Amino acid sequence: MSSRILVSLRIAAPPEVVFDAFVDDIAVWWRPNGLFAFTPRSPGVMAFEGGRLVERLPNGKVFEVGVVSVWERGARLVFGWRQAAFTPDMNTEVEVRFEPVGEQTRVTVEHRGWDSVPAPHVARHGFPNTVFLARHGEWWRNLLAGLAARANSVHLGAGDEGQS
Amino acid sequence: MSNPAGLISAVTYCDPKAALAWLEAAFGFDLMFLIEGEDASVAHAEMSHGASRVMIGGEWSPAHASPASIGGKTTQTIHIYIEDDVDAHCQKAAAAGAEIVEPPTTQFYGARTYRCRDLEGHLWTVSANVETVSIEEMEKRSGLKIAVAKT
Repeated sequence: MSSRILVSLRIAAPPEVVFDAFVDDIAVWWRPNGLFAFTPRSPGVMAFEGGRLVERLPNGKVFEVGVVSVWERGARLVFGWRQAAFTPDMNTEVEVRFEPVGEQTRVTVEHRGWDSVPAPHVARHGFPNTVFLARHGEWWRNLLAGLAARANSVHLGAGDEGQS
Repeated sequence: MSNPAGLISAVTYCDPKAALAWLEAAFGFDLMFLIEGEDASVAHAEMSHGASRVMIGGEWSPAHASPASIGGKTTQTIHIYIEDDVDAHCQKAAAAGAEIVEPPTTQFYGARTYRCRDLEGHLWTVSANVETVSIEEMEKRSGLKIAVAKT
């Protein structure tokens, strides 16, 4: 479980608000990345439903990104993360922690298990390991920036803004 | 994510992973970005303090050395500006093992500062404004002639 990515950001909203924005509003703040698409038909619409994270594809199919193994509202969320091209023995895991810091929430995403995806695999695009992880980490930073904007919007009572 | 124009200092440690834990315990920095390679080594790390960041890395080239590797010498020092109590900040850093080089002192220009060496010998200055001092008063207190660019 080495080869991990950790990204953290302070968001000016309580942990429960940030948690709810993460799971309930993922379709609003998620920003697809063509380099790391889940399926050849991505992007679709992301959703947490039925104890799993899924992507609803434009052709109507539903791709299961991963099963949720920990759901502690306002504290911790853990789910699996697979691309369609992964073989059954390849799997990565995402842990999201929500910690109160004064009136803010420090949200930390830890994405681990990339050792299970061999270097020559198509999902790595031929990047050296650290370059691949850095590019993927930059995507997570973008995602957290989107989550922050959404959580701030909800916290300030403008919950419908940002919907498109 | 694009970075706004500005400066970030990259600080070199023999053991960057230990530095990440120490800087959080001593100064309250947040680890905001970490890339770990296959051997769980630090490939890239950034810590935040307010709106500022520092990068924490290993001795990754012959031009990069921790003070711990070169007899304690360093060619730059980093200043941390806080809005909280400098004395309490100093006590926390000392409790985490910082060597206090200069204890908290109120300066003629209205800041209270202390200086310390971290776990590998980097020098850090921590500062908070405690008094607004006019240029005339600064000159009177210090005996220096002070020129300030008009903005």
